[in-house]
Amino acid sequence: MISRRTILRSGAVAVTASLAAPSILHAQTKTLKITTWGGKWGDVMKATVLPAFEKEFKCTVQADQAFPFVPKLQASPRNDPLYDVLHTNSNEQWNCVVEGLVLDKITAKEVPNVADVYPYAVSDKIVGVSIFTSAIGLGFRTDKGLARPTSWKDLADPKLAGARGSYIIPVNSLGQCHLMMLGKIYGKGLQDLDAAYKALEQLKPIKLVDFTGQMEKMLLSGEVSMGVIHDSGVYRYEGENKQPVDFASPSEGVLALEQVLNVTPGSKVKELAFAYIDYMLRPDVQKLLAEAVWYSPSNKKVKLSAKYDEKLLTTEAKVATLIQPDWKWYNARKEDIDARVTKILRG
Amino acid sequence: MSAAPNRRPFDAGRAAYLALNGLLLTFLLAPIAIVLIFALNPTPYISFPPVGVSLRWFDKFFSSPEFMNALFLSLWVAGCVLVLSIVIGGACALARARGNLPGRASLTAFFMSPLMLPAILTGLALFQAYLLAGIGRPVWGLILAHTLVAVPYVIRTTLAVLHNFDRRIEEAAAVLGASPIRVFFEVTLPLIRPGVFAGGVFAFIVSFDQFPVSLFLVVPKGETLPVVLFNYMKFDLDGAIAAASMVSILLALSVVLVLEKLIGLKAYVKL
Amino acid sequence: MAAAASSRPTPIAWLLAPAGLLFVLFFVLPFGVMTAMSFYSGNPVNNPNATLTTRHYERFLFDSAGIFHDALWSTLRIGLITTIASLLIGYPLAHWMARMQSRLGHALVLMAVIAPMLTGIVVRTFAWMTILQDKGVVNTLLIQWGLIEKPLPLMYNEFGTVVALVHIYVPFMVLTLTGVIGRIDERLEQAARSLGAGRLRAFAEVTLPLSLPGILAGSLLVFALSISAYVTPSLMGGTDVLTLPMLIAQQVGTSFNPNFAGALGVILLLVSLVIVVAYNRILARLSGEQGLA
Repeated sequence: MISRRTILRSGAVAVTASLAAPSILHAQTKTLKITTWGGKWGDVMKATVLPAFEKEFKCTVQADQAFPFVPKLQASPRNDPLYDVLHTNSNEQWNCVVEGLVLDKITAKEVPNVADVYPYAVSDKIVGVSIFTSAIGLGFRTDKGLARPTSWKDLADPKLAGARGSYIIPVNSLGQCHLMMLGKIYGKGLQDLDAAYKALEQLKPIKLVDFTGQMEKMLLSGEVSMGVIHDSGVYRYEGENKQPVDFASPSEGVLALEQVLNVTPGSKVKELAFAYIDYMLRPDVQKLLAEAVWYSPSNKKVKLSAKYDEKLLTTEAKVATLIQPDWKWYNARKEDIDARVTKILRG
Repeated sequence: MSAAPNRRPFDAGRAAYLALNGLLLTFLLAPIAIVLIFALNPTPYISFPPVGVSLRWFDKFFSSPEFMNALFLSLWVAGCVLVLSIVIGGACALARARGNLPGRASLTAFFMSPLMLPAILTGLALFQAYLLAGIGRPVWGLILAHTLVAVPYVIRTTLAVLHNFDRRIEEAAAVLGASPIRVFFEVTLPLIRPGVFAGGVFAFIVSFDQFPVSLFLVVPKGETLPVVLFNYMKFDLDGAIAAASMVSILLALSVVLVLEKLIGLKAYVKL
Repeated sequence: MAAAASSRPTPIAWLLAPAGLLFVLFFVLPFGVMTAMSFYSGNPVNNPNATLTTRHYERFLFDSAGIFHDALWSTLRIGLITTIASLLIGYPLAHWMARMQSRLGHALVLMAVIAPMLTGIVVRTFAWMTILQDKGVVNTLLIQWGLIEKPLPLMYNEFGTVVALVHIYVPFMVLTLTGVIGRIDERLEQAARSLGAGRLRAFAEVTLPLSLPGILAGSLLVFALSISAYVTPSLMGGTDVLTLPMLIAQQVGTSFNPNFAGALGVILLLVSLVIVVAYNRILARLSGEQGLA
């Protein structure tokens, strides 16, 4: 006869066993916590790139899409960070490395494919590895009788008063790049803030937006005839519905908007994290993503289809036109710069 | 003006009144009309004037597992928040109105304070607190965070109803022999119900549309719809978010309509 | 059973407990943590080098950058304008809704009033961009009709921000007011009319004063909401508008300085609480004067 005690005891054993079982399984499949953008990039990642990675490396990937990422990483404990791999732009990576939230350098030792990337991707202006980049230049309307801009100074053309656009500098890195560029073309260099401020004053009236999506909308609706934007933001409208907008790379050079991956020092799955970065640098993965969102791949060995190859930065020569700002220098002064530009541009 | 009610065939005053309200309604509805136009416009970027009518964005929205999961999560969270905030907020309002507590003005201010703090700080503070407590970011944490910002609305509307409450009805019931508990459940609660539910409507909407608090408290694959839309929109500018918006509006309006039918917000008006 | 008026809390006061618990755990504690953080230079849990400091508060008080005090005034000013505008727009709608006889009509107007709240933050901004920008609907129509020659600057400034905020908050105002107005006995107005007062006068001298508690309650709600808004002003205001919540959001999201953000939050909350408590005192006194239980 089965007593109640027996049932209870065997029940307890069964429950304990079933509770332990998932943890046994869990110990075998590691979890990699990453961040990723949304939109088309996120779609491709979730549909193709991440599942393939999970299968090959027998792990689970948790991809956080809720931007902003750095405040969350900041608040999480150092020895158990919220992310193993942080994907963000260069300026934010620099903010992170200063606080010890990400690694300093990633070399070919940890990530073999680093040996195949263009120099800019692991230059001293980068912490981590840049897997893609875009060029920040001038987007313009082709149907407003404007000549194709050849210089950054074309943005200051008096005819464009009230019809040019840029970004709210405190919150947008393209705006910050533009400010530094103003220092270069009107002054002594990227760090000549005085010249930059003067030039900014001359650009008024100018329409300022928060993020590139709004700039795209302004260009497409004709609200502005010329604006600071990255090439991918204009080229993505190629194809089915050709719009009268085009992208111009000014002769003084284009600024780099890099997509940078880095690993957190406290990560418990560093091997896997490095493997992920290596995976993202594989030519086939690079080609897939580059052609989905019009980013220029960092791996020299990537061969893009003709229409992408034509417009993106896929040769040593083209890549050499990229200017990488000193984010460490800028971030240290960001608070002062923010206050100053707010005063200049307000009303 | 004559003392008798106007029987003139054309009532200029009333016409002006209706015209004014019509204009105000137009102001409220114009952006929504624009969103509908975007949602039906086939071109893959948001433009005006529209070039045609197409359901492709609705199709994209409904066939995207990410959007659908987010939609259901938002609905589920909002539903939980609705129930929780009604119970907690209603109770709090009753206590504040009837409990003879000291410092009533300060109490009201205290319970309204989540509304005055930028939600990004609330979200960040809760995120840090959750991490410190070691509980991670569970869904119930998200629900309770939403409840925090929704409860003030319920308290507000319930207090308003309790304010003008004719207590003689309760006294009459007591005189007729009902015990205090019975008076509470059979007289008081039904009479304040419309106020509580009006606050509940607010709570549902506030939770469903909540963005900054959710931003820090959602986890991968467990994001609410506003978060998903915001992040989608930073990188892709097409009509899918307009379609998502229209669906949200229609769904939430249905919920409100159902609530209205059940308890009749008009009863709240006529209390 | 007549209850003697006492100054001790009645048992029903215990109903405060769930709300109290929720607020203590999810508001007071986290906010306390944040306030504590605002006195540190870094995150003391993660960063052993974080020291106690009042420099965040000093930074705001001395405002050497020249933008912080302006941000506070902008916040309060935009809050006030938004509240008044919401009231002016919301009152007629609330009045119409409250006095409407048809159940269907009432439901339709209710849905129309609530719909703006549900549009979603980002989509709403794009809709306003389409309406208010230089090539937007309003300007295009006005130019077509020959009323203006150059487009009016309706967006990326305080005007656009207030319009968008009012649009979101009018529903809150309407729903708060409609209950109060609905409860005003129509016979009071009719009595005034039968005594010879015109419609407008009956309204101004009967209905309006009686709806004052609703006006104050709705205004308080909208004011509280609009001084904490940051997403809409960020997207609608360009650089013309910098409010304290926007500054806080920038500090959290792009300057990665949660300590300073926390200090700003404390300051904003303190200022708001002062205003709210004052508001409530007025409300209590006015309601008391009218002898409502």
